[in-house]
Amino acid sequence: MKKLLSVIRVGLKVNFGLAVLRHRLIKEKKDIWLVPLIVVAFLGLGPTLYGYLAVIKLAYRLLLPLGQQHLILTYGFLAGQVFVLIFGLYYVVSAFYFSKDLDILIPLPLKPFQVMFSKFSVILVNEYLTIAFFVLPVLVYYGILSKAGLPYWIFALVIYLLLPVIPLAVVSLLVIAMMRAVNLSRKKDALIIVGSLVLIVAGFGLQLFLNRTAGASPDPRAMVRFLTAPDGLIQRVGAVFPPSIWATKALAGGLTASGFSNLLIFAGVSLTLFYGILIMAEKLFYRGLIGIGEISGRKKTLSREGMSRQVSSGRHPVRAIFTREWRIMNRTPIFLLNGVLVVVIVPLLLVIMAQTGSGKGSNVVLLRLLTSTKPIYVILAASCFMTICSCLNGTSSSTFSREGGQFWMSKVIPATAKEQVMAKFIHSYFISLLGIVVASGVAVLVVHLKVVVFAGAFLISIAAAVALTAVGMMIDLARPLLDWTNPQKAIKQNLNVLLAMLADIGIISALGYFSVFLLKRGIGGGMLFAILFVVLVLLSSASWTFLLKFAKKRYVEIEV
Amino acid sequence: MIEFRRVSKSYNKGKIRAVDDLDLVIKPGEIFGFLGPNGAGKTTTIKLIVGLLKPDAGTITINGLDTQKDALKCKAMTTYVPDYPAIYERLTGLEYLNFIGDVYGVPKADRIARIEKWLEIFELSQAVSSPIQSYSHGMRQKIVMMAALLPAPRVMVLDEPLVGLDPRASHHLKEIMREHCDQGKTLFFSTHIMEVAEKLCDRMGIINKGKLIACGTLAELKKLNHEQHESLENIFLELTEE
Repeated sequence: MKKLLSVIRVGLKVNFGLAVLRHRLIKEKKDIWLVPLIVVAFLGLGPTLYGYLAVIKLAYRLLLPLGQQHLILTYGFLAGQVFVLIFGLYYVVSAFYFSKDLDILIPLPLKPFQVMFSKFSVILVNEYLTIAFFVLPVLVYYGILSKAGLPYWIFALVIYLLLPVIPLAVVSLLVIAMMRAVNLSRKKDALIIVGSLVLIVAGFGLQLFLNRTAGASPDPRAMVRFLTAPDGLIQRVGAVFPPSIWATKALAGGLTASGFSNLLIFAGVSLTLFYGILIMAEKLFYRGLIGIGEISGRKKTLSREGMSRQVSSGRHPVRAIFTREWRIMNRTPIFLLNGVLVVVIVPLLLVIMAQTGSGKGSNVVLLRLLTSTKPIYVILAASCFMTICSCLNGTSSSTFSREGGQFWMSKVIPATAKEQVMAKFIHSYFISLLGIVVASGVAVLVVHLKVVVFAGAFLISIAAAVALTAVGMMIDLARPLLDWTNPQKAIKQNLNVLLAMLADIGIISALGYFSVFLLKRGIGGGMLFAILFVVLVLLSSASWTFLLKFAKKRYVEIEV
Repeated sequence: MIEFRRVSKSYNKGKIRAVDDLDLVIKPGEIFGFLGPNGAGKTTTIKLIVGLLKPDAGTITINGLDTQKDALKCKAMTTYVPDYPAIYERLTGLEYLNFIGDVYGVPKADRIARIEKWLEIFELSQAVSSPIQSYSHGMRQKIVMMAALLPAPRVMVLDEPLVGLDPRASHHLKEIMREHCDQGKTLFFSTHIMEVAEKLCDRMGIINKGKLIACGTLAELKKLNHEQHESLENIFLELTEE
């Protein structure tokens, strides 16, 4: 038990240790500029939170006369658990199998389940922080609205602590089984990518299923039955993921037999599944883990002709660095999944959801009507969609961080900061373009955009992507994360990626407000498009120029 | 030639002086060994030469060019091997060598000739098409060494280059280092192995707590010691004693 607690404590310290942050903030004063930025970012989230709370309040008032107000809790729990189910995969794969500290932990006299327990705790804490954004407002505001007593708050705390356990245990079971199979093969990286994609698609498939089950229009009699039966809607919404029902009933029931029994079921299933992964870990974890990082070479001597063919004949440094970026990104599963594949998958999933969700026909008709009467609105909306799809990935905002411990090479090679940044920019911009192209395809297929509208939106988004790529790179250049031990930290858990996304949203919103302002002033569609395009070109060239200047300074300053 | 003029570097806002007022000249055609206990300032000095760190004070010149003002020209004639071979694991050995060849502008014919020569010497011919991820520590050390030799640089800076190498590779590397300097080029390397320093170096310097406490040929260092016949190890121990 002592060993277990010790390894959990170390795991949590390494991942959430505030010592380094404290050192950087207070002693070195390096990241002090981040404090106001983060405060502003959180203030920026204020209106969203306000809107969220307003929706909760409205839903509560609407559902109260029907006696179905607990449905709000079900939705909150469902959202949190489905989120963990889908995005927990990244954390589980990288924490269980790609943390560098595993090389230290495996030789220690620890049992596989103890190592797994430590890793699981780290992910669990991560999930508490992640789902807090959408589960805590529901729990707290519901408690306030229903004037709940102490038992509610105690039950709420217990349920919140248990909430990510079931989905995380399900994901862990799948991942442990997947990695055991992957480790049998020589093509490990390829299998990890394919396996992860299958799990992501399965996760989204589940969400789609939930949407359809909850959102499809039932016949009126069934609707009346659902509305009049106690907890009818809850049963219906939660039927596909029963843990959400147990949690809701436990919390709503409180100190009654129903409350206790549901809490017991919820806690019992959580703990049983958790125990299940510990047993599975003992049997399969090390078998999947040991040797996962080993790649067996081909052991083939190159012939003279082969050598002559494969040795390049003097590429320009920009091309050489671009090729290096391209290869490393595409050959590292975590980078590929978070960088390249995300810009392809997200627009596709959006279109699938739009096609299968309720009321799809009316939206499309509305959009087509707008296209014929007010094309500029559609250009703006489509370009906004394309730009968001292009900047969803963390390629530009992790471009320096991804080099990690190998950044020393970028410091010693005789390539100027301009050449290095140019190569990285082309790489990041290429990924953004890929996002724009996929999003364009989606827009054309779903809304049947006219050529003029499509061309306009495309032009605006490719101009905007220049500025957003440069901004992402500047943020990463300001504070590159080079001392990571797990590639996940370079892209998925990198604060720079989050900051860049906030900055991107800020820029896109500002441009949106600017466009609305001009439209209200009576500026015509063609004129607005021209102004917007010129503004974006100016913004892009300014951010590019600043990026080059900043890089020249930072490549000297960054010490490794 | 590498020249240090009153170079200092400190960490933790001046609390730890890693390199303290270093004055040193390494002449062309010279193998210079840099010795010192752990944490004495060897790696910091090396990182200052290759531009991984910026000196707080003083200047370093390579063949007359300031490493700060003419950074790119200095980099073009210098290669470096770090103490730990952290390199692009997802590239194959040949892709890595190609990358280095490209950024240093090595012509294709030279590139092929040199790669073939070093592959044979370092016994990496069978592994060069495999990802570096599949290499052992020693193989990684060898491929980094090959990358450092590929541009045929005028100055080589090596941090503990013999660590992790098998005896045969170690023997070859020592021959290569000698050859390099016999062509009038400069080589600066750090080591903990006294025997290597004794046999290989034309001159050596001993650094302790950031200060260069002794510098010269083996004979000159022996003169610093009361008993002339003592080994370098004993001289080192005596000079770096707390």
